[in-house]
Amino acid sequence: MISIQSLKKVYKNVTVLDIAELSIGQNESFGLVGNNGAGKTTLFRTMLDLIRPTEGKVEINGKNVQGNDEWKSYLGSFLDEGFLIPYLTPDEYFRFVGKLHNYSDADMKSFYQKFEELFNGEIIGKDKYISDLSKGNLKKVGIAAAFMGTPQIIMLDEPFENLDPTSQIRVKNLLLEERKQRSITYLISSHDLNHVTEICERIVILEKGKVIQDLRGNQNMLAELEAYFKA
Amino acid sequence: MVTTLLDHGWKKFTRSASFNKDVATSVFLGIMALMMVGYSLAFGFTLNTLITKGLGQDDSFTFLNMLLLYYFVVEFVMRYMIQNLPVIDIQPYLHLPMKRSGIMHFLLIKSLVHVMNFLVLLLFTPFAFTVVAGKFGLGGACTWILSIWTISLALHYLVIIFKKQLDDSIWGILVFVIFFSLLAAADYYSWFKLSDISAALFSGAASGASVLLLIILLLCTLYFFCYRFFIQGVYTDEQQISTVKRKAQDFSFLQGFGNVGDWINLELKLIFRNKRPRTVLYMSGLFLLYGLIFYTQDKYREGMPWFLLFVGLFITGIFMINYGQYLYSWQASHLDFTLTRPVSLRQFVESKYWLLNTVTVFCFLLSIPYAWFGWDIIFANAMLTLFNLGVNIFIILNMAMWGPKKINLTKGGSMNYQGVGAAQWVMGIPLLLSPYVIYVPFASFGRSDLGIIAIGLTGVLGIVLRPYLLNLTVKRLERLKYSIAEGFRQD
Repeated sequence: MISIQSLKKVYKNVTVLDIAELSIGQNESFGLVGNNGAGKTTLFRTMLDLIRPTEGKVEINGKNVQGNDEWKSYLGSFLDEGFLIPYLTPDEYFRFVGKLHNYSDADMKSFYQKFEELFNGEIIGKDKYISDLSKGNLKKVGIAAAFMGTPQIIMLDEPFENLDPTSQIRVKNLLLEERKQRSITYLISSHDLNHVTEICERIVILEKGKVIQDLRGNQNMLAELEAYFKA
Repeated sequence: MVTTLLDHGWKKFTRSASFNKDVATSVFLGIMALMMVGYSLAFGFTLNTLITKGLGQDDSFTFLNMLLLYYFVVEFVMRYMIQNLPVIDIQPYLHLPMKRSGIMHFLLIKSLVHVMNFLVLLLFTPFAFTVVAGKFGLGGACTWILSIWTISLALHYLVIIFKKQLDDSIWGILVFVIFFSLLAAADYYSWFKLSDISAALFSGAASGASVLLLIILLLCTLYFFCYRFFIQGVYTDEQQISTVKRKAQDFSFLQGFGNVGDWINLELKLIFRNKRPRTVLYMSGLFLLYGLIFYTQDKYREGMPWFLLFVGLFITGIFMINYGQYLYSWQASHLDFTLTRPVSLRQFVESKYWLLNTVTVFCFLLSIPYAWFGWDIIFANAMLTLFNLGVNIFIILNMAMWGPKKINLTKGGSMNYQGVGAAQWVMGIPLLLSPYVIYVPFASFGRSDLGIIAIGLTGVLGIVLRPYLLNLTVKRLERLKYSIAEGFRQD
């Protein structure tokens, strides 16, 4: 589904990303971990065609993401506040994104229902612009919007950061529940090893832009991760 | 503490991305400031001659004193436009063991370092030490000029209070201007003479220290009020959170235009909900009146037909020029969104094309009453509208891609240099000169009428070639989007 080939990004002679080969299959839940500056966000941005790689390419469904709009209709993503529109209310924002995916009123309704619990009555129907929301609520808006358009792939950067414990559990359940119902690929980066091992069957450790380890669905993934980060 | 804060302020200035990247803007602003100082000084030294010889007033001292209060009205408006609310990011200091009151006093006193606070000295010191000193001696000259300076400083704090209370809106200053215009009219028809009060006040200032002391008291009071406002504003949670005032602010008629309509709808919300783009829109409205200055004078109407092109270009294209020079910067905060959602860049660019062009047509329609001054004006404006729609729009769409900078939407509009790069200074040149490239060859053969028609025809050509030109523009954006997005992410 997603294939990365000899991908390299160099900023002023510093290589921040260097991945010889990485492919992520359909219905795979793929986790990305690594300390600060490991290149997680750079990798995600490159996959979203927001950064032009120095070398190599990212292909989604056999097509280079660069200069191609097709993947945008089946990849939902939320990396940071740059993916939100600050001067809209959350309702307006969802309606706008929904429109881009040709949502009907019924679709909007079921969307709101799905996220009612996560929103906790703090987001919908409030006369507040997105720019005035707290960091936790911003995250919720972004994550929910990434689910719009029933995407085949969902990419989230640190989805648990800034969320309260209840919301963290709710996001986790949302992600797990979605995968029970349909085939979907996740790309999730996180610093929370517990959450990421619960959601992901495959976890890649990035260090200085390179894939250090590629762990797959075994029982002691958490132990292996802890062993790596302790060192 | 003061030196530390000064040091931090200096570092913030020199280390900001725009300072390092944009020497051109700094140089330009520096030259502007120098020119302003130069002109003011020149004005100051010739002031007495201007009044006695130019205006034929024998008693230049009384005459100037009569006008001084009106001068301060003008200065107030100028300050309102130029002066920004003093801010340092106080948040990082509040939790540290520093006196809160100390930080506030620092902030308020530092704000005095502003070119406007020295303007009166440049303008009136030469007059003080020649004319006033001749009449009242050196002491009188000193109290006179000090009184004037103190009033100017008091205005500095008054503007801060005014701006803080009115949230930088344009209506407060309009009411202010109208009020003083009425006073001036009353003065002119001798119903109520503000000029007499002014004359009494400032001749009093020259003859003793009591007036000066009163004004200093006024300055201290205003300073104290400012201080109170700021110390109360420390609690960030009490600062106004902008809630949605009108919920139904949705331009639903645009739904019939598909995705392009949705993007225009979004951009209209951006304009109406944020201070700075809103100011740009209001300014465009004011510029519609620009023609009144020139169309009413035969000097321009008959003598300088080429100048009227310039006026027409401004009247119909001012929004396109002013808003368009930051075309991509307005939506900088969510460019990543735009690039990752299922929307093609073509639709994105097209929405901007239609938005700017529609407003331009609106401006033209609103300018039709100028027909009162002659139909030739409307004809020229129509041709220039076509030119804006067909040619200038593509110049803007493309030049705005040249190193755009992020704009923080919540900050006020007038004299806000955020988002200004070298491109913004240069951009005006081709926009304003391009019609002349077509016009001048015809005009030099004495057929300026044909020249105007040729301008319109070139515009039509651009409109006809629209699909092709749009494609070129989109391709360029496709190429530049990575560097633009990266620039926006870096703040």
